[in-house]
Amino acid sequence: MDPLAAIRDTFFQECEEQLAELESGLLAMEAGDRDSETINAVFRAVHSVKGGAGAFGLEALVRFSHVFETTLDDLRSGKLEVEDAIIKTMLRAADLLADHVRAARDGGGVDEGRSQAVAEELTALAPGGHGPDDASEEEEDLMGGMVFQPLSVDIGPLEPLADLPPLEFAPLELGEEPPLVDDEVLEGLKTWTIRFKPKRALYANANEASLLLRELDRLGLTTVTLDLEALPPLGQFDPEEPYLAWEVALETEADEAAIRDVFEFVEGDCDLHVQRPAQAAPAPAAAASDILPELPPPAPQEIDVAALIARAQEAAQILDPVAASAPAPAAARAGPPKAVEPPAAAGAPPAATIRVDLERVDRLINLVGELVINQAMLAQRIDGAGLARANDIAMGLDDLEQLTREIQDSVMAIRAQPVKSVFQRMPRLVREVAAMTGKRVRLVTDGEGTEVDKTVIERLTDPITHMIRNAIDHGLESPEARAAAGKPEEGTVKLTALHRGGRIVIEVKDDGQGINRPRVRQLAVDKGLIAAEAVLTDEEIDNLIFMPGFSTASSVSDISGRGVGMDVVKRSIQALGGRIAISSTPGSGSTFTLSLPLTLAVLDGMVVSVCGQTLVAPLSGIIETLQPKENEVRRLGPNATLIAIRETYVPLIDIGAVLGYRTEPVDPTAGVALLVESENGARAALLVDAIQGQRQVVIKSLESNYRHIVGIAAATILGDGRVALILDVDAVVSRRGEPAPALAAAG
Amino acid sequence: MSEATHNHSADQKELISFRIGQQEFCVDIMAVREIRGWTPATPLPQTPAFVRGVINLRGAVLPIVDLAARLGLGTVEPTARHVIIVVRIGEQMVGLLVDAVCDILTVTEAMLQPTPDVACDQVKSFVKGIMAIEGRMISLITLDRVLPSLEAEAA
Repeated sequence: MDPLAAIRDTFFQECEEQLAELESGLLAMEAGDRDSETINAVFRAVHSVKGGAGAFGLEALVRFSHVFETTLDDLRSGKLEVEDAIIKTMLRAADLLADHVRAARDGGGVDEGRSQAVAEELTALAPGGHGPDDASEEEEDLMGGMVFQPLSVDIGPLEPLADLPPLEFAPLELGEEPPLVDDEVLEGLKTWTIRFKPKRALYANANEASLLLRELDRLGLTTVTLDLEALPPLGQFDPEEPYLAWEVALETEADEAAIRDVFEFVEGDCDLHVQRPAQAAPAPAAAASDILPELPPPAPQEIDVAALIARAQEAAQILDPVAASAPAPAAARAGPPKAVEPPAAAGAPPAATIRVDLERVDRLINLVGELVINQAMLAQRIDGAGLARANDIAMGLDDLEQLTREIQDSVMAIRAQPVKSVFQRMPRLVREVAAMTGKRVRLVTDGEGTEVDKTVIERLTDPITHMIRNAIDHGLESPEARAAAGKPEEGTVKLTALHRGGRIVIEVKDDGQGINRPRVRQLAVDKGLIAAEAVLTDEEIDNLIFMPGFSTASSVSDISGRGVGMDVVKRSIQALGGRIAISSTPGSGSTFTLSLPLTLAVLDGMVVSVCGQTLVAPLSGIIETLQPKENEVRRLGPNATLIAIRETYVPLIDIGAVLGYRTEPVDPTAGVALLVESENGARAALLVDAIQGQRQVVIKSLESNYRHIVGIAAATILGDGRVALILDVDAVVSRRGEPAPALAAAG
Repeated sequence: MSEATHNHSADQKELISFRIGQQEFCVDIMAVREIRGWTPATPLPQTPAFVRGVINLRGAVLPIVDLAARLGLGTVEPTARHVIIVVRIGEQMVGLLVDAVCDILTVTEAMLQPTPDVACDQVKSFVKGIMAIEGRMISLITLDRVLPSLEAEAA
């Protein structure tokens, strides 16, 4: 990849983060958080997007984000009151900004009309009434208006003065200059004085003073003055030492934080003083010389702007020997700049993070998986060699096992991420679906910090999206219907994530009408999914919506009916070892519960044998194990067997028969039963021949080289190097009563 | 092993020939990833009889297709002398269980004769054509249909 493309990629990655930040900030504001920190965070997000977009020349993006930023700035400076209506507009603008970013990244366009409309809406909010044209003009202005030209500074006269004390600058006119206010200058315009003196590190880190000055220029009208004071005689030039400093008089509405933001990335690499407008007047230049005690000069440096030239020439004059007799700078320290603490002091620095290519992490995880297998293999072989447990080798092996497991845990933790990234996409979805259906919806999220493996996160978006669409489209009633039913007009969809039993559970709960069971049943009969006379429990009726080809909407709607039914959602989740279940109360809403393993890479399992085969049953589903006794086992009908467990009868399922390993019924009392609970709460006892032990196993996909097999979740590799199959407990439980399909297919 | 000719030209390709019972077959060498000895496979439920199960190929789960059964030549209980030819079919890796690997052949398209009409459907769907080489008849196998398709299972 060429370097620019790589930087571009990084920019877009960061854009996504900024957009997420923006959205969560706006949502916090919507929820009533009007804290200035929140507003600042929102502003910064848009500002960063704009800044980056400018660097890549993404004009449409710059233009839109500029309009957005301007309005946010008004909000930030308190010129605009935070109101719900404004936040709504902002949220729409955030959606559109996301569209712009994506359009810039993937090519393609943005709905211009919509973009224009939102931009106008934004500008209409602004109290000063920056017109949209105003904004774009300003934009062009700042792109084209600033001319950078090399400026040579005659420093000849300095030479004889090499050992003289620091020179005094004549008080800069700057502060006294009447602010260059023209007609369009708005109220609240203040003139800030910013002194900026780069240190060597600033240039060493590939930052560029002129870019920072240009960035300042974006904030308002700038008058830049070059401070040559630190220039040493030519003979003492150190080409790598920065000697220049600048003083900028900035007329802007922006506040100090915005100004400091400009220097955010060079913080610590420069001396920066931002002086409040009230104190702008007193001769600041001399104070600058105080801040810059060391001798500096530039490598031939580009200096900015025509106005500067005049200042520079003036400065050169000041450097004339005549000025050499000037008193020490202390005299000029009259108005010590009210240097404000750098923003870093404001909050604890965020934990350091690095970006790592996911492939590298995956490779590491695979390798650790191999290590686990190898370690198990080694353990088995040493066991086989008949060494005593207390043997040094065996003890070393125990340590190795512990280390291996720790490494595995640590590596898995690298990929663990909070589900926040998925949840953050949902508010927009809710807004869009709500707008399309004409319903009023409030999305409540909970448990955003719940961590889950990255691979799982990626697979969560689609099902959650679908469940939320479904909840709004089918679950919630129209505002009128809700009002008629005595409910608040605004429906609530609650999205929750939590850890339960080594899995992540996602719940989508709505307070809508619930499942219309008679209608669902009728539809299923109409579509031939069930027999007309079938007797179904409520739960079974609810689960009909997961059947292929089922859709409860009377018309295939734009939102839910995109050709993907709940059956597809269910299947894709099952393919991941996940489950989806629904519960519903007529009149008060439905809850979809989705559960997935925390990681798709390892699993704690119980190793069992059936008909000479070794199988692994996921430990998460197993409640207890028991030895069936003669008097507990009962037969029901021709095929079914039940087992009594503390007064309750649950189906006893012979794994050997289900998987087609044997056809003859076996004596249950000779085996061991695993009492399991499936995702929808159904319990069953799985009959196996023997339990070998518990082990953490590395999940290997069967699908990658073969295909999915009903009843088998995946495969793993055991210590002896052989493949063992991992049972899909839920699928096995749900097949209860059905004759083993395995045999039929195997023939 | 007989000697293979190595005068490369554009329409030449190399094939690996192997034996199942008394018959000789071959596959394009470009599809072959490795050749290894038989190791016991873990049987899979709900699987056609010609899929012997899965083995561990350095951490990957590799299905083993008994080519003899797939071609309708009957099954034999594999021994340590049987050979697994690991081939790539599309995105998937599959092991083909055969009796023995014979030779590397360099052939041209022109040497390939269409499968005569006598062959039964099962053979015809896997045999792309036949070749006469040094008095032996060698059938070229197409790999696309070696694995059971999903539709076939659903039916």
